[in-house]
Amino acid sequence: MNAKNPSIDLNNRGTLTEDAGLSTAPVPLEPYRSASFYAQEVDRVFKRAWLLMARVEELPEIGSYIVKDIPPCKVSVLITRSKNDKIQAFYNTCSHRGSKLTTENQGKKGRFVCPYHQWTYSNEGDLIGIPDQANFFDVDKKKCGLTPIATDTWEGWIFVNLQPQPEVTLERFLGPMKDYMANFKYPGADNPVVFKAKLDANWKVVSDAFIETYHIPCIHPQTIGTTFSSKLNPHARLLDARTLGPHQAVSMFGNADYTLDPKNKAEMLGHSGGEAGSVIAAANKEKAAEFIAHPAVNPTSSSYWSMDVNLIFPHIHIDCGPGGFWTHYFWPLSPNTSLYQGRFYMEPATTIRGRFLQEMYISRVADVILEDLVNVARTQEGIDTGGKQFMQLQDSEFGIRHSTTQIIKWVESDTVEDALS
Amino acid sequence: MTINATTKLLPEGYEALESFVPKWVKDTSAERMTERATSTMAEIQTFYNAILPLADDAMALIDNYPIDDMPDDIACLCKLVLALPQVAMAVELHGQPRLPNTPYPHGIELLRGTPPFG
Repeated sequence: MNAKNPSIDLNNRGTLTEDAGLSTAPVPLEPYRSASFYAQEVDRVFKRAWLLMARVEELPEIGSYIVKDIPPCKVSVLITRSKNDKIQAFYNTCSHRGSKLTTENQGKKGRFVCPYHQWTYSNEGDLIGIPDQANFFDVDKKKCGLTPIATDTWEGWIFVNLQPQPEVTLERFLGPMKDYMANFKYPGADNPVVFKAKLDANWKVVSDAFIETYHIPCIHPQTIGTTFSSKLNPHARLLDARTLGPHQAVSMFGNADYTLDPKNKAEMLGHSGGEAGSVIAAANKEKAAEFIAHPAVNPTSSSYWSMDVNLIFPHIHIDCGPGGFWTHYFWPLSPNTSLYQGRFYMEPATTIRGRFLQEMYISRVADVILEDLVNVARTQEGIDTGGKQFMQLQDSEFGIRHSTTQIIKWVESDTVEDALS
Repeated sequence: MTINATTKLLPEGYEALESFVPKWVKDTSAERMTERATSTMAEIQTFYNAILPLADDAMALIDNYPIDDMPDDIACLCKLVLALPQVAMAVELHGQPRLPNTPYPHGIELLRGTPPFG
């Protein structure tokens, strides 16, 4: 974000949708409820795409490990940082009888011992111990290591790919997103506040709810409504949106006139001596200033900016705001349920007032998630009736149109290269 | 926490808040969230009314100590102050303990907070 652009005229411009070359036709609802579409989505999207799983800060030192699930594919992934500082993912599955190897979610270990019969593996995946090996029949230890999963990193984000030989590299998969978000200085990357929720909605219904602002004055009037809309832009039209291969970046309007409401006395207390600001910022001005200096943060350099959603296909949002960044993971569980995880990154507070503002932020985030949780369940109920075949999308719902179009394209493409072309 | 009658839970000047310690002093944000969600509006309002006028001075006092190494009475006061944002959501935004028109329990889990006392 460089010189701020104080002008705003969202009425007299071309549409973002048409400028990006997207269709303006209604978008089908069948992908949001169909069991057969869901099965194809699992096979052709989640088993073929590179999937963002974690940040490297979750593996802070040699020997660190984390376990993450890919729920739609029923895969538990063990990710280790081994002695050559190599980050590698494995199926969390013992080579002996296929038992789940570790049931802990994170820690530090040089070796992993299967609880069933104590087969033992190094954190490089090698099988190093079989109790009573003499009683087996020529078992070849070298062939019985943990099964690796293709792993790569980009800008501190760890990706895996469930294809035994991925059809495309991570670089090819990221396409223009690779450079667009290069060299981000993510503040507080080692200190996320983490929320999890099981939602009664297709994962795309949830992702869609987090990528458009058209709903904000309606669904979040108390919690964040005044941050995103004002008389200048009462329906919270988008500042900008662009496709980046299957990925995309959406920049949202913010109410520059937003000031602390004196009736919000607790919030006033947190800000006393400091400056006012958006309720979706997580504090620490210095690190935040460095972060928002990046050209892909507030890409139109608008004075009326609240946040950006950067969607990493298929199921991750990396969101940027004036106070830093946060991520949403939307994992499919079934055609109409999903697992949500939100990770809100913040520098550990150095003063109690800073910590107080973080607590304020956390309580507000929890209520916003709760508002969305109720809303997405209601949306899914409506979709599941089968009464409607299409949704009507307006220009501010650009993000929904692009992501659904891309999902359908991946489902219909025989190769990943076709899907990306 | 064991409550010992001979030691004071809170620093001098904050005796008026002692009666709120058992209910509102929590170690994590998740527990604070649950406490607000399962309290009556009268309980929330009484605590809010008591702590709001003292919170500014309390934060000035707490800031005299390292944020990661507070004496027990200061840490206790700190946890009490950190309960204010939660109850403020109820008092200042919703006018009721929980977000209107939402279920409880709601299935949202706070898995990890931020230090201290997150």
